[in-house]
Amino acid sequence: MASGNGTGNAEEVTASISAFLAAKHVPPTQAWMTAFISTIRLNTPIVALQKTALFRLLATDITTSTTKSAASCFATNITDPQVKERQVRGPITVQLLDVEDIGRSRWSQVEAIEAQERGETTKGREVIRVVPDDNGPDAATQNESKSSGPHKLLLQDANGLHVYAMELTSINGVGVQMAVGAKLVLKDFIVARGLILLEPRNVEMLGGKVDAWDRKWKEDRKKVLKEKAGVREGGG
Amino acid sequence: MVTKVLCVAEKPSIAKAVANHLAGGQVQTRNVQGNPYVKNYEFSYNFPTWGQCSVTMTSVLGHLTSHEFDPQYKSWRSCDPSALFEARIDTIVEDDKKPVAENIKRQAAYNKVLYIWTDCDREGENIGTEIRSVATQGNQSFRQPGNTVRARFSNIERAHIINAARSPVQLDEAQSNAVSARIELDLRIGASFTRNLTMSLQPMLQQRSGEDRSQVISYGSCQFPTLGFVVERYIRVRNFVPETLWGIKVMHEKDRIKVNFNWARGHLFDRMAVIILFERCLTAKTARVTKVQTKPTSKWKPLPLTTVELQKCGSRFLRLDSQRVMQVAEQLYQKGWISYPRTETDQFDRGMDLRALVQKQTQGGPWTQFAQDLMNGGFSQPRSGRNNDKAHPPIHPVNFVVPASLSQEEQRVHEFVVRRFLACCSQDARGSKTEISILYGSEIFNTSGLVVLEQNYLDVYPYDKWTSSQDLPDFREGEVFEPTEARMNEGQTSPPGYLTEPELIALMDANGIGTDATMAEHIAKIKDRDYVQTRPRARQQRQQGEEEEYEPAEAAEPDAGAGRGRGRGRARARGGRGGGAGRGGGATTGVQEFIPTTLGVALVEGYENMGFETSLTKPFLRKEMELRMKAICEGRKTKAEVVHESIEQYRDVYIRTQQRLDSLRAVTGTLVGTPGQNGILVSGTE
Repeated sequence: MASGNGTGNAEEVTASISAFLAAKHVPPTQAWMTAFISTIRLNTPIVALQKTALFRLLATDITTSTTKSAASCFATNITDPQVKERQVRGPITVQLLDVEDIGRSRWSQVEAIEAQERGETTKGREVIRVVPDDNGPDAATQNESKSSGPHKLLLQDANGLHVYAMELTSINGVGVQMAVGAKLVLKDFIVARGLILLEPRNVEMLGGKVDAWDRKWKEDRKKVLKEKAGVREGGG
Repeated sequence: MVTKVLCVAEKPSIAKAVANHLAGGQVQTRNVQGNPYVKNYEFSYNFPTWGQCSVTMTSVLGHLTSHEFDPQYKSWRSCDPSALFEARIDTIVEDDKKPVAENIKRQAAYNKVLYIWTDCDREGENIGTEIRSVATQGNQSFRQPGNTVRARFSNIERAHIINAARSPVQLDEAQSNAVSARIELDLRIGASFTRNLTMSLQPMLQQRSGEDRSQVISYGSCQFPTLGFVVERYIRVRNFVPETLWGIKVMHEKDRIKVNFNWARGHLFDRMAVIILFERCLTAKTARVTKVQTKPTSKWKPLPLTTVELQKCGSRFLRLDSQRVMQVAEQLYQKGWISYPRTETDQFDRGMDLRALVQKQTQGGPWTQFAQDLMNGGFSQPRSGRNNDKAHPPIHPVNFVVPASLSQEEQRVHEFVVRRFLACCSQDARGSKTEISILYGSEIFNTSGLVVLEQNYLDVYPYDKWTSSQDLPDFREGEVFEPTEARMNEGQTSPPGYLTEPELIALMDANGIGTDATMAEHIAKIKDRDYVQTRPRARQQRQQGEEEEYEPAEAAEPDAGAGRGRGRGRARARGGRGGGAGRGGGATTGVQEFIPTTLGVALVEGYENMGFETSLTKPFLRKEMELRMKAICEGRKTKAEVVHESIEQYRDVYIRTQQRLDSLRAVTGTLVGTPGQNGILVSGTE
């Protein structure tokens, strides 16, 4: 097929890259591939092209850029709360729309953001607000603001279906620092009453992000947390 | 030829005590013209350095000189406040100190050696140099090194003083310079900002409150960050929004014991998630024991006592605010009962004979038996903390004194110091802790049991609590059972409390504002200036699992050691003023909390609104100043450098404040609202 230094054959390059992406569980649509090929020099080494393709694809909305099949998407009734439990093999590729730390009160998360806004986390300007106790080897330092997780994620498959998922045990890379639009591949997981339960062995993080979504998420975060906490903004 | 030595202490009581220790009672006392408190004590002493000497010991009354701006700047209208950053500062002797200074000058002429006996801290070093400069006016030769020396001492106990007298050292110029820098900065920055703030806001405040009395808005570079902490907490409490949370509780009865298991996740803020997890537990039906571990555990004895710790404990346990605690401690020090109460050191020097100190406490007091037991083999070297200011040891009792001969307040503080010291010299309390974990569905639950095997230090230190929990039944790893009861519960987050004094002290300490010597003063200042008010904490804002706190005995009964149950089992009503059940008197229930006044809030909010660079209510500017002080002490910076750097920083803030004065006025105007409202923010009930 395609040799190491690029024979320049558009068809061969397209096929090679498509196969590579499909193997990564993000099979591109023909339209996307065509658009991609038009932006590259065909005699670039194929490995570099594959990497670039993956990087760019991970920055897109998979509902438009990837091909869908019954096997690679959620069953349409997956969110049915009547179903106590079901096992799903996958692999199913999803993108992250929202992430929440449900182990901490929203209000304490708002306070943490405000402290950062006030510049208290920049070096030299730190303000220490919680002073630990010296109590012995068994001292439990109850520091609410430090706890992280578990996290609840809002995921979307290539069909556009929204499903919630939750970490059963801590998964590396999952947290409120995740980029919105990041892609994950889920396999061999349980869905309980419409909620996906995840453990490290179920998740492969592909990465990526959708700039516009991520920016908006960050801008709105404080407001959203406040609403969830139940703060009624002043005025009328 | 007998050498004549002039000794000068910081306070009359110290002069008297030292004179009597050195002279063995053979002292001639002479009055000082113009002041009834200061005396000159004359005696003979053989100093190793100079041989047989004729000694005159006298004292000053704290700082001998004070600093003022050149008279042309005295009136507020005489210049723009920012001129004070550069205005000339004069060193003067105030009228009430003139007789004291004259006495020193006169005596100086007759003496060959000047021996400084001020307290051994930075302020003392600075006072020492003031004394030297005044004495030099009466005797030029004191300027030469070797003719002025200094005593190094940490308490007023006889042997210690005699030892100190025989090994004089040099005055530490660096430390004195640090204090000079601080004095100059506080004066320049304090005055310029105070004038500016007052003149800018006063007309508007007066208009609003309709009062004739013109209010000065005083600024201090340490007061504002202290106020900042109080206001911040106040606003946090006011803005707090309670949120619902959910948890899972598992209880299993075995061997007729009801064991409560706690969910490893604690609680979650998503109801759906918890319901689903809970259902999976129920579906699993049985739980499996995954861990059974019994291991020895201990509750550490306390660290040696520092000033900050004394202030915190004073607030929590002794019902004395930090300023009062320090005043009482100072009295105890001057009388020779405890060591110097201003120290950051929380480790005892290995060479110190602690047993001898314990021995002294076997002579009486409610801790006699405990001290005796320590002497009979129970003694254990105290823990070492991480701090050592190299100037003084941790606060400890220096001599035995019959408690009844002290005033009520002195007794409380003294008792605390003694008990703390004896606790430091005992063993940690020992126990055995059993931890059990179970896996129920996908969820982990834990429980633990504690058996306290040896009280050890807790027997003399009732301020700490540690009690055995109920017995746990036997569980085996791998054991499977069906929990007796499993249910979901719902709760709510609750707001933090307003700042209490111990918390405020801890925050000031952690953020580097104020030194151990000054923290109490800053807190007192913001109360004085009506920026904050205090009130007793009415409701018990206790965190889950926290034990009840120690309460001092009310009556004259000195035997506080009897009955460990003293602190526990006292029914505290939730809501309303609980505590004090059955104890007479209208005593307040424990700690005081700080509430800012409207003016206090206005100032902080006003500055916050002006933005980050001008934030006088944040600790970092002051913290940097404190660090620069330290640099002077350690010889890394000169006084001139530090004064210059800090002035520039504050000048910058001053300019920005000027530019945004309107914003400050706006907030102050809004908050210090309608005529008649006097600045008190919280009235009565919540």
